[in-house]
Amino acid sequence: MKRYWPIITGILLYIFLTGATVLMSFPLFWMISSSLKTLEETNSPGIIWIPKQIIWDAYIQIFQNQDFMRSYFNSVFYVTLAMTGTLLSIAAVSYAFSRVEWPGRNIVFFLMLSTLMIPPQALIVPQYVFFNKLHWIGTFNPIIIPGYFAGGAAMIFLLRQAMAQIPKELDESAFVDGANHIQIWWLVVMPLVKAPLATVATFLFVGFWNSLLTPLMYLQTVDLYTLPVYITTLFNINNTVQQWPTIMTAAVLTTVPLIIVFFFTQRYILESVAVSGLKG
Amino acid sequence: MPENPYINALATTLTAVIFIIACCYGLGSLARWIAKVCGASLKKQTNTFAGYFFAAPWIVGFLIFVIVPLTFSLYWSFTDYRVTSKDPANWVGLENYVNLLLNDDSFRASVINTLYLTIIGLPLQMGMALFLAVMLNQKMRGERIFRMAFYLPVILGFNTAVLLCWRLMLNTGTGIINQLIRGISNAIAPFEYANRSAIFIQEIITAFFLGLNTGKYNLLHKVFEAGFPAANRVPLWVQSPLWSKMSVVLLMIWGCGAMMLIFLAGLNNIPKELHEAAEVDGASGWQRFWKISFPLLTPYIFYNLVVGLILSLQIFEPIFVLYRDNQPLVSSTISMVYYLWQKSFSHFEIGYGSAISWVILVIIFIVSLIQFKLQDRWVTYDLY
Repeated sequence: MKRYWPIITGILLYIFLTGATVLMSFPLFWMISSSLKTLEETNSPGIIWIPKQIIWDAYIQIFQNQDFMRSYFNSVFYVTLAMTGTLLSIAAVSYAFSRVEWPGRNIVFFLMLSTLMIPPQALIVPQYVFFNKLHWIGTFNPIIIPGYFAGGAAMIFLLRQAMAQIPKELDESAFVDGANHIQIWWLVVMPLVKAPLATVATFLFVGFWNSLLTPLMYLQTVDLYTLPVYITTLFNINNTVQQWPTIMTAAVLTTVPLIIVFFFTQRYILESVAVSGLKG
Repeated sequence: MPENPYINALATTLTAVIFIIACCYGLGSLARWIAKVCGASLKKQTNTFAGYFFAAPWIVGFLIFVIVPLTFSLYWSFTDYRVTSKDPANWVGLENYVNLLLNDDSFRASVINTLYLTIIGLPLQMGMALFLAVMLNQKMRGERIFRMAFYLPVILGFNTAVLLCWRLMLNTGTGIINQLIRGISNAIAPFEYANRSAIFIQEIITAFFLGLNTGKYNLLHKVFEAGFPAANRVPLWVQSPLWSKMSVVLLMIWGCGAMMLIFLAGLNNIPKELHEAAEVDGASGWQRFWKISFPLLTPYIFYNLVVGLILSLQIFEPIFVLYRDNQPLVSSTISMVYYLWQKSFSHFEIGYGSAISWVILVIIFIVSLIQFKLQDRWVTYDLY
């Protein structure tokens, strides 16, 4: 009997972990299932795991919904622009902190790390007034432009650590060959940190795509709403009946890009979360 | 400025890029000139230029988006500034802070709600994270898939779309969660009693916290008067002030993947020899966990506790999606950031909002400082 003990515990462990996985991904399943139901089915008192008759009406409706499609485009537009600038500026700043020796580097680096302690929300009030003075309320500018100034100390730290691990000899030989710093940054260092760049890009993408507070504050009109803001307007507490199939269809279409991106980059992400900041 | 919002955004972005590049050259040249005056070597001059050139985006951004706003908000926090009114701001001294800390019921509610999330929610979340981490630490095949599945909720986490799905699942009458609870309760008697006891305990604790908030314990009396919940009772997730915070806790438990990864890293760092030696001495798996793994994990537990506390101060999305416009419930779940948003952008009280920002800033600063002080013992940053 004792011989079989490891096998039995192994099987039990797999059963438990599979059960936990099912529970953890249940909201996703329920989201998809509800999007294919009729309104009556979403409010029915019995459990309908998978609708007997799959109804695509909600999908057809949402693709014809101008506001939804526009907010989808807005999200893609703003995330693309904001991500490009943030990623490039973070890469430049990380280069300065890892590959160049300059007076004042340690002080500036310490200052940058200390901004980790400032919650971004503590800055939203004065920033709002500042953007108001610039007449930027009701435009995409306040949610795009700050990223171009290397927003995100944690991301800089992550990328800097990766760049610092590249051997110094590489730059030196490039210098001898007559390359300047910009060429070394773009042609020597950047290709060597592709994996950390992918990690940072994913974190940035998830952050921008999910962001609710700042778009909510600055966008103001339906024409400019990004997906997270638009979706909250679909759910109105004053309605007695919520259009759940429509809401869940919009939800499925919003989560799909997140899942795709996570699926392709999870290898880097899972490792970097475990090492960042914590070394035992 | 062009009317089309997309062209406007592109044009402004282009302007910003030109501005940043100009700043890079400006700052770099200035630094090189200073280095030259100080008599540095040519190589050092080049490096100084390159360093400031590449770091300029952050330095300029730090000044524009951090230092200047912080200075202004510190000033405004002592005034009655409103963005809508044309009158200049009046200096009111410490009035905002005194009102906020002593007389403001909503702010007190937000502090107590954070306390609830810290005392009730965080241990549940960390317990779940630790449990999953220990289960995953058995080094078996397919571990990566499970790890991925447990981390996915963190990515989806606070997306409003996913939160709305939770809103559907948490519906008191027809939501899937309550239906499952009802179904299992009817089928299995012990589960029914467990469910009823859990409801009773949860309602007593929440009623106590709500009592702390108002100073009157009416609700607690009511819960006791109602006595042990009836056989067909289910949790009133997003309907009752007694359950509104528990719904947020449920979301926290669901998103425990990030903490789990930290615990996994901690478990990996425990030397194998310790467990092997204990096994030779005849210690059971249970004993080994409590006597070896758990004590060695305390730094990681503390780290998660601090990070979790800071995050719970900043919760915004779940409250906005689940309880916005739901007046009876907002005060029972409000977080500090939600309150800041409400004051500053529904009522446009910039002066008062600035005071709230500074209080949040100071609280988080103190918490982080404690963390940095204590983490010297276990974290090594290889900075230089």
